[in-house]
Amino acid sequence: MSYFSLILKNPFRNKTRNALAIVGIAVGIATIVALGLVTGGLKAATSETLKAGGSDLTVTEANSNFMSGTIDEARVNELSDISGVKNAAGVLRKTPTINNPVKGGFGSFSVNGIPRDKISVVDIDSVEGAMFSSGSKEIILGKTAAESLEKKVGDSINLFGESFTITGIFETGNIMYDGAAFTSLDTLQNITNSQGEVSTIYVQVYDDTNLTELSQNIEATYPNELTASSASALSDRINEGLGIIDSATWAISLLAIFIGGVGVVNTMIMSIYERTREIGVLKAVGWRSRRILGMIMGESIVLTLIAAVVGTVLGILAAEAGLSLLSGKISPAYSLDVFVRGFLVAILVGVLGGIYPAYRASRLPPTEALRYE
Amino acid sequence: MNKPIIQIKDLKKRYDHGKITALNGLNLNIKRGEFVSIMGPSGSGKSTLLNMIGALDTPDSGQIMVNGIDLTVKKDLSQFRSQEIGFVFQMHNLIPNLNVLENVKIPMLEGNLNSKQMENRVMGLLKAVGLEDKIRQTPNKLSGGERQRVAIARALVNHPSIILADEPTGSLDSKTGDIILKLLRNLHEQENVTLVMVTHEPYVAKMADRIVYVLDGRVSKKGEQMLGPV
Ligand SMILES: Nc1ncnc2c1ncn2[C@@H]1O[C@H](COP(=O)(O)OP(=O)(O)O)[C@@H](O)[C@H]1O
Ligand SMILES: [Mg+2]
Repeated sequence: MSYFSLILKNPFRNKTRNALAIVGIAVGIATIVALGLVTGGLKAATSETLKAGGSDLTVTEANSNFMSGTIDEARVNELSDISGVKNAAGVLRKTPTINNPVKGGFGSFSVNGIPRDKISVVDIDSVEGAMFSSGSKEIILGKTAAESLEKKVGDSINLFGESFTITGIFETGNIMYDGAAFTSLDTLQNITNSQGEVSTIYVQVYDDTNLTELSQNIEATYPNELTASSASALSDRINEGLGIIDSATWAISLLAIFIGGVGVVNTMIMSIYERTREIGVLKAVGWRSRRILGMIMGESIVLTLIAAVVGTVLGILAAEAGLSLLSGKISPAYSLDVFVRGFLVAILVGVLGGIYPAYRASRLPPTEALRYE
Repeated sequence: MNKPIIQIKDLKKRYDHGKITALNGLNLNIKRGEFVSIMGPSGSGKSTLLNMIGALDTPDSGQIMVNGIDLTVKKDLSQFRSQEIGFVFQMHNLIPNLNVLENVKIPMLEGNLNSKQMENRVMGLLKAVGLEDKIRQTPNKLSGGERQRVAIARALVNHPSIILADEPTGSLDSKTGDIILKLLRNLHEQENVTLVMVTHEPYVAKMADRIVYVLDGRVSKKGEQMLGPV
């Protein structure tokens, strides 16, 4: 036995009390680790998605939720005529009721209507099988959607009370598209009673077009009707959202440090209170105050390191489970950073929570400690 | 070398903001290698005296020199305790989650011996107190007498010059107490260490070279008469 192994041994003396403290801190660490893994995963997924998008500008209804507004289809041709615009495609997005929800998309399974000749605007260049034909009840499915719905080329699928034939399956790498279906715009408009409506207009521009100017131009022409955002602006918006999650992670870390710290102080105070005589004996046999201080601090850090290990495992499990429930395609982004942060927080809690109890123990007058019943 | 190992002059100590006088001008000299037992009524200051010799507490006034060290000016009292003093208390005060071997080793963690040297010293002492076959036991598996033997081994492990024993047999039956006492006396002779022991039992005190009576915080001749001849 050495001084070090004594420090390792002591936290196992009152197992129930210390286990409670460990669980408390571990939950905090788990939250930090899980949030870190999830936000990292979301960041990676969105940047991939934005890269995969084929259009330069996304035009939606002003003051509506992203993806849920309605636009007059006539605007598609009007936008095509604006200088700098190479191509514009109106897409109608509808969400059918289906029995088994599609995993792996962003949100629920959607059916998108798009003119047959504009399909390249959403970056679908090739399909396994064949493209749908104009005005028909033919449909193509994204790979994730097809897997999840257990459909293959040639199968039929019932949507909005109509039977569609699956002519092809495509993969773009964009998790939004790969979890969705595309069919002819007029077909979808007819069966959903949405004649003359689209949800989004995707705009492709010439290389020398200034996207910011074009966006401003569109919004000025259709005030309170249209909003135009470029892929990079969208990415900024998403990153802003993720930034909020990042700040939340830090706030939660601070909370975990505080709550965990209070738990450690409490646990260690009770521990030294119970061991008052023992601390008196250690002083009587010649242990310096510094050695007693170090022992209690060490025990506090051992406690929080165990919590860090438990919390990291819990955090990984929570992140994996959470993301696979939410969307099978986004996976946690494992980076050293996240784990280092978890352990640093744990050590910080151990040090901060251990200082006061350790100081108290080291200052205990030996005669009083030995008289303690 | 004939100078006393413990020289105490007019030692005073009060507790509770001066309300309780524990030592009231105590004078005492103890020779190197001597076995002194200390007797006196409860609350007379015996434990306080031992704590002063062992530098667990500091006096309000007076002088105390132990093995040439002036404890009223010495700064690093824990080093003094570690090198010069071995304590044996009435309650064994062993650490419950450590086994016999580890408990005896505890005071050595302040020293700088390697683990082999520590092991040798501990094993030698555990043999001397008759516990060589119980080294892996934890204190709760030992009898009262066995625990006190561990405490004695722990007190001797750093080769102290003085053993301070505060009622070491106080919580043992008389037969076990007798064995522990003889063990202490033998080890005091073998290890050539000064032994100062507080006891309530006159027959225990008689084993010592000298009996000192403490009454109201002083060494008293009157106390001797009150207790009767031994
Ligand atoms: N640390 C302390 N704080 C307050 N009072 C104490 C302390 N140590 C001893 N005393 C008091 O000093 C007196 C002498 O105590 P002590 O030396 O323990 O006596 P004895 O060992 O002879 O029974 C007692 O009244 C006791 O209550
Ligand atoms: Mg006493």
